[in-house]
Amino acid sequence: MAAVSTRPVGEPGNLTAAGLLVPATIFVAIGLMVPIAILFRYSLNAFVPGQLMVDALTVANYVKFFTDPFYLQVLWRTVRVAVACTVFCLLFGFPLAYVLARTQSRYKNLLVMAIILPLFVGNAVRAAGWMVAFGSKGFVNSTLMSMGLISQPLEIMYTELAVVIGIIAVNLPFMVLTLQSVIEGIDRNVEEAAFSLGASPLTMARRVLFPLALPGILAGVILTFILAMNAYATPVLLGGPKFQTMGPLVFSTFAQQNNWPFGGAVSFILMTATLILTIASSLLIRRRYA
Amino acid sequence: MASLTLDALTKRYGDNVVVKSVSLAVRDGEFLVLLGPSGCGKTTTLRMIAGFVPPSGGSMRIGDKDITTLPPWKRNAGLVFQSYALFPHMTVNENVGFGLDMRKVDRAETTARVAEALRLVRLEGFGERYPRQLSGGQQQRVALARALVIRPDVLLLDEPLSNLDAKLRLEVRLEIRALQQQLGLTTVMVTHDQEEALTMADRLVVMSDGAVRQVGTQSDLYERPADLFVADFVGRSTMISGTVAGAGAFRSDGGLMLSCQLSSAEGAATIALRPERLTLGAAAQGLANHATGKVTFVSYLGALLDVHVRLNDTDHVVVQIPNRSDGHVPAVGDMIEVGWPASACLVFPREVA
Repeated sequence: MAAVSTRPVGEPGNLTAAGLLVPATIFVAIGLMVPIAILFRYSLNAFVPGQLMVDALTVANYVKFFTDPFYLQVLWRTVRVAVACTVFCLLFGFPLAYVLARTQSRYKNLLVMAIILPLFVGNAVRAAGWMVAFGSKGFVNSTLMSMGLISQPLEIMYTELAVVIGIIAVNLPFMVLTLQSVIEGIDRNVEEAAFSLGASPLTMARRVLFPLALPGILAGVILTFILAMNAYATPVLLGGPKFQTMGPLVFSTFAQQNNWPFGGAVSFILMTATLILTIASSLLIRRRYA
Repeated sequence: MASLTLDALTKRYGDNVVVKSVSLAVRDGEFLVLLGPSGCGKTTTLRMIAGFVPPSGGSMRIGDKDITTLPPWKRNAGLVFQSYALFPHMTVNENVGFGLDMRKVDRAETTARVAEALRLVRLEGFGERYPRQLSGGQQQRVALARALVIRPDVLLLDEPLSNLDAKLRLEVRLEIRALQQQLGLTTVMVTHDQEEALTMADRLVVMSDGAVRQVGTQSDLYERPADLFVADFVGRSTMISGTVAGAGAFRSDGGLMLSCQLSSAEGAATIALRPERLTLGAAAQGLANHATGKVTFVSYLGALLDVHVRLNDTDHVVVQIPNRSDGHVPAVGDMIEVGWPASACLVFPREVA
């Protein structure tokens, strides 16, 4: 009798599995890990004006960041904006995702397209649009003034509010799509069972829907939070030159000041802060609902 | 427990009427089954009783209380779903206790009532498990305990056995029936499985196209079906089409003259025959109706045999006989005598499909 493989047809063997993993692994290794490692090494170098980067092994760049109120202010602002954006994305996104997941409408695909559509427009283009709309002579102000509701143009542009609104608009589709797919996986009958046992809609949501949607809430929060922490185009265009956040700071340190060691340090601080806050929020949400 | 009354309950989606003015009275402690093919409106009716589908017309009462516009969470109806619908993130105890929690029942009483409900469904000791650690039958029993523990006014069962395998289904259906009788639960069950319906119900409601065709006990439906649809849907019938040829007389399309029960039908009509009321061989000759035919097919069902007999070009009957090893088993191609009494012929006006 010939040797028979015990592996079911269609299930990849170890060798096949390895083969499937290799391309992505190589790409991540070369495209991400290596540059990050090099960047980390750079962040420990010294910066001498005139000579630019000098080989060294010092934490001076990190010390500089954490002792200068200006940079701490930038980090704090970034975190504040990212948290606000994430919270509002969740608040706006959940009801929307729920309706989208539960609708029996034959226009459901159109609704999903309407959610995805904003992603077809790049951040920079969209931010430019907001600039037109919210400028002191922009659409919103001129409309309100012509209606006599305000006498002075509202200062929307170049404020934290403008940046938060801008980032929410960019991130909302990610939150909605993540939540929608998870909510669709929750049996509608489970919600009805809760109703029939005496739970009002709010109680049902708190006791049944949210806990079951938790994986989606986590994924959505992580995704939008990381995107918000690292936002570039939106804070630059809507926040203006005085509204510094971490993303633009990384770029200007590298490109405008040519300070690669400090740029490396800022990058690492941004990465670490994002990571820590993401883990913290995951733990918080888990404890709240699990 | 209480009675449940539906009065001209109607559901319309646009021009599509899915439930047509259904009126039913479920007595206190009665087990009523809504039976019908898929799309007949039985599930929509149940969902209206539960409060998930707002009726387009008519009213519903539990006892003397009008519940027509009450939201589901204020109806005190225990509901069991085909998909079990247990809360996957809660233990069995938490699942069963959920309804009591909603009713602000204190902790000690909750613990006692949950334990009692689990004992009723024979799941003591399973309280700390999660639904995913239970088999389908156990999950359905948890769902039942969860619905019972709130002491509902009515128990609603939506195809509760359809996801269970055949053997388990028989077990659980006897269990549900026994519990229902023991606790005197006013119960409405929806099913498309007539055997399930016949074994569990006190009374049955046959529905099709959103309307009630007949309400009655098992023998009402089986022996005195109200129309051709019920005769065909409940149990098995052989149909012979033809015309009414006078009082108690019928001429089949194939030319057979048959004696049948008196009926109000006139002109084109159909006779429904229960296979077990027909007789084969010599015994057939003394009966009011008899004819000779050719055996076209014999199906062996173990205890029973189904013998298909062609009487002429258009008429054909199925005869069910007990399978006795000492008796003569007809073979395909045999010419055989078939007979049946006039009382076996139920005559119905031809339905316009």
